Amino acid sequence: MSGANFQASAIRPFRPLPLIILAGIALASLLIAVRVGSVEIALLDLWQVLCGNGNSLHQTLVFELRLPRALAAFATGGLLAVAGSLMQVLLRNPLADPYILGLSSGSAVGALFAMLMGLTGLIVSGAAFAGALISATLVFTLANGGGSWTPTRLLLTGVIISSGWSALVTFMLAISPSDKLPGMLFWLMGDLAYSGSPWPALLVLISTCLILTPLGRSLNVLARGPMQAATLGIQVKQMEWGIYIFASLLTAFAVTTAGSIGFVGLIIPHMLRLVLGNDQRLILPASALAGGSLLTLADTLARSIIAPQQLPAGVITAMLGVPTFLYLLHRSR
Amino acid sequence: MRLLLGLLVLWASSSHAEVCVTDDLSRQVCLPKAAERIIVLSPGIAEQTFAAGAGSKLVAAVSFSDYPEAAKKLPRIGGYNRFDLEAIVALKPDLLIAWSEGNPAEQLAQLDALGLNIYYSEPFEFDDIASTIVRIGALAGTGEHALAVANHFLSGIQDLRARFEDAPPVQVFQQIWKNPLMTVNDQHLIAKVTRLCGGQNIFGDLNQLSPRIDLEAVISANPEAIVAGGMGEDSPEWLDDWRRFDGITAVQRNNLFFIPPSTLQRPTPRLLEGATLLCDYLETARERR
Repeated sequence: MSGANFQASAIRPFRPLPLIILAGIALASLLIAVRVGSVEIALLDLWQVLCGNGNSLHQTLVFELRLPRALAAFATGGLLAVAGSLMQVLLRNPLADPYILGLSSGSAVGALFAMLMGLTGLIVSGAAFAGALISATLVFTLANGGGSWTPTRLLLTGVIISSGWSALVTFMLAISPSDKLPGMLFWLMGDLAYSGSPWPALLVLISTCLILTPLGRSLNVLARGPMQAATLGIQVKQMEWGIYIFASLLTAFAVTTAGSIGFVGLIIPHMLRLVLGNDQRLILPASALAGGSLLTLADTLARSIIAPQQLPAGVITAMLGVPTFLYLLHRSR
Repeated sequence: MRLLLGLLVLWASSSHAEVCVTDDLSRQVCLPKAAERIIVLSPGIAEQTFAAGAGSKLVAAVSFSDYPEAAKKLPRIGGYNRFDLEAIVALKPDLLIAWSEGNPAEQLAQLDALGLNIYYSEPFEFDDIASTIVRIGALAGTGEHALAVANHFLSGIQDLRARFEDAPPVQVFQQIWKNPLMTVNDQHLIAKVTRLCGGQNIFGDLNQLSPRIDLEAVISANPEAIVAGGMGEDSPEWLDDWRRFDGITAVQRNNLFFIPPSTLQRPTPRLLEGATLLCDYLETARERR
């Protein structure tokens, strides 16, 4: 996110074509996710199942396993990518991702503590959500302490709090009995296998896009720097607080759904910026679609590539994301 | 096997002063006299040592040594994967019983270099469990008690084997974890118990000892019985989640069974309890055909 990229935006008229293409990709990724799995479902059979017919095994597979998981993956990926774009606007730092302010490690502390206490299911998710919010509040209060509020101060506080949480995670892993370790380690790696119902995350993603789209213009101005934004009549402080709280909530929902999945939140906004320019009106909805598609495809590969054995989706997002990103970066020079 | 165990003890007790046994790494472990101060480096081995009648000679154990009750009161020298070398040395043990796959090799090498006697244990089969008890008993001077326990265990296993050797096979899914869904391959002790009872592990051929698997794969393999228990805490409620997939034969026939993990998880005489329970469950599954 170079200075030149920032300058070029804002004035340009809004172009819907990239969004239409991305929506097509998103739909295709969901179809692939519903089609692929340990059990082969022919295209014709899949069509019958989607029309409400087909045999009962296929119906169970599609409607109870594949579709909820694909939607959960899509929602999680979308939330992470949107949260990542917001964090990059807020911190004006290209390395910012949804986890940079300690949200994922905070929620990991919550989840692992619950698992260590022998709790399961919804309570673990609740503890993860609470951990993420506690971490966000802590970082925000501490960074805001002296009254001066700069991205650097926020970033440093977040990074330090994050390392503190990570140390706690390591501590809990070191003292936990070996029979609890597999569950804990898989939670840390990020995994869609225990995502539960996709609806909360999906609803949050949809409402996020509806709320943020009208704010795109103000975000564009803010991305150029707080001084310009203030002279152009934007209430910078309120805006920054809003972004922070919003991005934290999105990340908390994502982490609660699937653990901490890396790369999506960092790479998707950068990729889109390299291709589409830095117009937040376009970047934010595009992030939702592209992040969702990437994670849906990654999760489909993760559960089918060496089936019946399963891989964590985070491994695949990195394998797909890193080369694509490096290629775009190279080409953009 | 019983004859072999007897010979082992005979040989161990033949010279009154020195006791020697061969451990699971085929090393000779010799003590000038029966051990009086033993430290055990895994919860399973603590249980084995108590079973061998040598519990009173234990001076320390690792964290989570929780069976029998007396094991909980033993002083701790750390966890099985990271222990306090100074605490071990300070207790002046005359015998350490190590878990060769679970304990850190570097720390064991340091203890070895300090001149401590280490017995490496790694039981894979039912016979190994019995012979481990006999060998620990021999080293601790409680050979006769240990032999009786080992023989009781082996004859129990042999009874089950005789009963179910020709029983019609039952396709079994062994669930050892829910989130993520994990099972065992045929190398795992749990799978060996399943085979003993005439069960066939539907994921026996996978490479990893306890692989993570796909829910879909379970549904398409359509097991006749689902057995939960293994690594997790007591979680019989895991089984209820299967009820929404009523295409699975195990669900249709209500063959959803829970076995307390502590009786299937450790290579100790308690395995006989778990094995008996599992065999009964699979017999129930046969009756429901």
